[in-house]
Amino acid sequence: MTRLWEVREISTVAILAIEIAFFTWYLWPEGGRSHPFLNQANGLLILKYSSIYGIAAIGAAMVIISGGVDLSPGAVIALSGVVLGILFVDRHWSLASSAFAGLLAGVACGLASAALVVLVRLPPFIATLGVMGIARGAAFIITEGRYFDVSGELPSGWRLFGLPLDWTSPMLMVLLALAFHLLMTRFQWGRAIFAVGGNETAALFSGVRVGFVQASVYLVAAVLAALSGIALAVVQGQGKADLAMGYELDIIASAVVGGASLAGGRGSVIGAVLGALIFGVLRNALPQIPGATFYDRLIVGLVVIVIVVMDQLVQRRSIARR
Amino acid sequence: MPAVEFHRIDKSFGAVAALRDVSVSIDDGEAHAIVGENGAGKSTLLKILAGSLRPDRGELRVGGAAVSLASPREALARGIGLVHQEMLAFPNLSATANIFAGRELTGRFGTLRESAMRDRARDLLSRLHVPVSPDAAVESLPVAYRQLLQVARALAFDCRTLALDEPTTSLTAAETDHLFRILDDLKRGGVTVIYVSHRLAEVFRLCDRITALRDGRCVDTFRRADVTPDDVVQAMVGRTIPTRTHDAAARDSGAVRLRLQGLTSRPCFEEVSLSIARGEIVGVFGLVGSGRTELLETLVGLRRADRGAIAIDARTAPFRSPREAARAGVVLVPEDRQRQSLFFNLNLRHNLVLPSAEARRARLVRDSERAVSAALLRQWRITAPSIDATPDRLSGGNQQKITIAKWLALQPGVLLLDEPTKGVDVGAKYEIHGMVREMAEKGAACLVVSSDLPEVLALADRILVMREGRIRGELRAADADEEKVMRLATSEGGPGPTSSMETGVDA
Repeated sequence: MTRLWEVREISTVAILAIEIAFFTWYLWPEGGRSHPFLNQANGLLILKYSSIYGIAAIGAAMVIISGGVDLSPGAVIALSGVVLGILFVDRHWSLASSAFAGLLAGVACGLASAALVVLVRLPPFIATLGVMGIARGAAFIITEGRYFDVSGELPSGWRLFGLPLDWTSPMLMVLLALAFHLLMTRFQWGRAIFAVGGNETAALFSGVRVGFVQASVYLVAAVLAALSGIALAVVQGQGKADLAMGYELDIIASAVVGGASLAGGRGSVIGAVLGALIFGVLRNALPQIPGATFYDRLIVGLVVIVIVVMDQLVQRRSIARR
Repeated sequence: MPAVEFHRIDKSFGAVAALRDVSVSIDDGEAHAIVGENGAGKSTLLKILAGSLRPDRGELRVGGAAVSLASPREALARGIGLVHQEMLAFPNLSATANIFAGRELTGRFGTLRESAMRDRARDLLSRLHVPVSPDAAVESLPVAYRQLLQVARALAFDCRTLALDEPTTSLTAAETDHLFRILDDLKRGGVTVIYVSHRLAEVFRLCDRITALRDGRCVDTFRRADVTPDDVVQAMVGRTIPTRTHDAAARDSGAVRLRLQGLTSRPCFEEVSLSIARGEIVGVFGLVGSGRTELLETLVGLRRADRGAIAIDARTAPFRSPREAARAGVVLVPEDRQRQSLFFNLNLRHNLVLPSAEARRARLVRDSERAVSAALLRQWRITAPSIDATPDRLSGGNQQKITIAKWLALQPGVLLLDEPTKGVDVGAKYEIHGMVREMAEKGAACLVVSSDLPEVLALADRILVMREGRIRGELRAADADEEKVMRLATSEGGPGPTSSMETGVDA
């Protein structure tokens, strides 16, 4: 949109590139063996896992830009995966209709969050905390502790639209990121989301449908979380109620590292996806460093803080320069 | 010996020089005004005095000695108290806690001496004639009292110098009177008053000497007795401002565009009936709390009326939201541009085209918006670094022009303005009046609410006076003068204009 945000996305790309270069150098194998980090299979693995976070982070970024926050994506991911799992594995529905039912579960969660925030006027943190509990609880009730082996039901070598299974969720993430980037920058709806997040009162006075805009972002965020739940169930082959525990924080962190400001009004969906990749690389590479196993959560936490602090320093300097 | 002396002060923010070689000497016990347009450097000068900014070059001398103030706390310790333009109060705390915030009276073990502070607060409040309990929560108090709390805070620390930054911006006439009586008292008690304001009437009433700043430089210091307000305006703006002649006769022949009949929304306003023709500018004068803002908000659907009718071009128009109103060409330029109008996260281009895009239910962002917004900046002579800059880089006057221009882009049929020149400098004020007149000439019916009486007299073809939620009288601009309008706004029994000073007591 503005030059500043373009620069912001470029700096996220730069962080990602530095990170990849670092691990490439640090994990360089001795004596001509194949590189444990920098190889095609590992690249695909990173993309596959990151895309689960990345797809949901697109929605999280939009909610954050609108001035809200969504704590429910982890639970929605689990719920939609479980809905797909029980219908596809137990009830022998077709994959498409099971997936559609999973999406509908996301729609229901999104409508609940939207209604609580817009109609009941609960603070988003509380509203989505409640929805998170309800969605997670529903997933446990549906499964009764069972585990649905989705991959066992898929014919071997199954492809979606001619793509190998592993490629589908990264492709989906990229397509969604581009589509929502366009929506956020070239459509009035996206403009209104920035306006509501920047100054809700002024948005109301300026004729923006504030309630509609807020409701729409919670709905979209939940649907995207449901999509990533479906991707998780199909690509990783499982539907389980305790999947994606604590993902909500990683998803929010991805959006924030990608430039979204929790104060609202600033951020980028492309940045959020790049943020998810930054964490994906970390989570993949750290366990490969001997002795780092127990440090990886700590390092991930530090990285969030360092990136956000750096961003704030840069912003403060650019304001001071005016 | 001067109480405070600014000696050859320079201060820059990046490439922008806010103060250049400014020297002002403020005598002990005098009331000294600092006037200037927005961006002239008045606030920067006060911030240096209050210790929240340090000068790049030059000296601040207090009681003859050069000092370097590192924080507002140090300034307070040297007897300099600042009453801020923005209300720096803790709304959730009591009046006492606000007065003593940061420098509480404490006992031997650091325990708070609550009752001692409360007694002291009660003394101070009664000295300032503020009928507020020391335990009253500040959020329940009207703005005028919050300001007086800042004065009380300065007195609690025995400040000998009191600096006030635009203290009357949000005050009614009665509240302003109250403040001035207190300042007169303090002056008699030997307190030095530094008074920063746009409002020359206030400056001439209170101050002994007047320093005019322009573009960060000190133009001159006048003795009040030697100058007229026109001289001071000229020093501030560096040019003479043409006075306006009324040409109302040419305009009031249009058909009625906006008609209100018996519009009531208790407890804000009652039985408001009025009609405005195409091309007419109607001024509504009333003190804060007279129901003016609520009336405008009802017209654009932000509030519901209990009863009564709103008609635009003879069609009833009960809008449910500002969006619906804007689609019908009825727009409100609200009072508080920072809170209600501007998006500081968006650039000027986005700010300017947002209302018109929303009103025509745009789906796509148009490529033409760049040209459209650049044209708006040119048309209304808005000074901005670029259309991609954010509004925080503009002066107050230009920010206000943005908030008006973004609605004018929509070519409204009914233009409602709430305090359109609040807190802007004289030059911007005249240009904003020009914007309103131009829209009227294009056929818009304009309703201007203002508590700035000279503004209403200068701008409106007809003046309605509101008091306690009712319209108390109507004057044609040609017959109106300040005295007639003020009499309608304040007179006739009842609690009158002081009522707003009495609210919030012990709440």
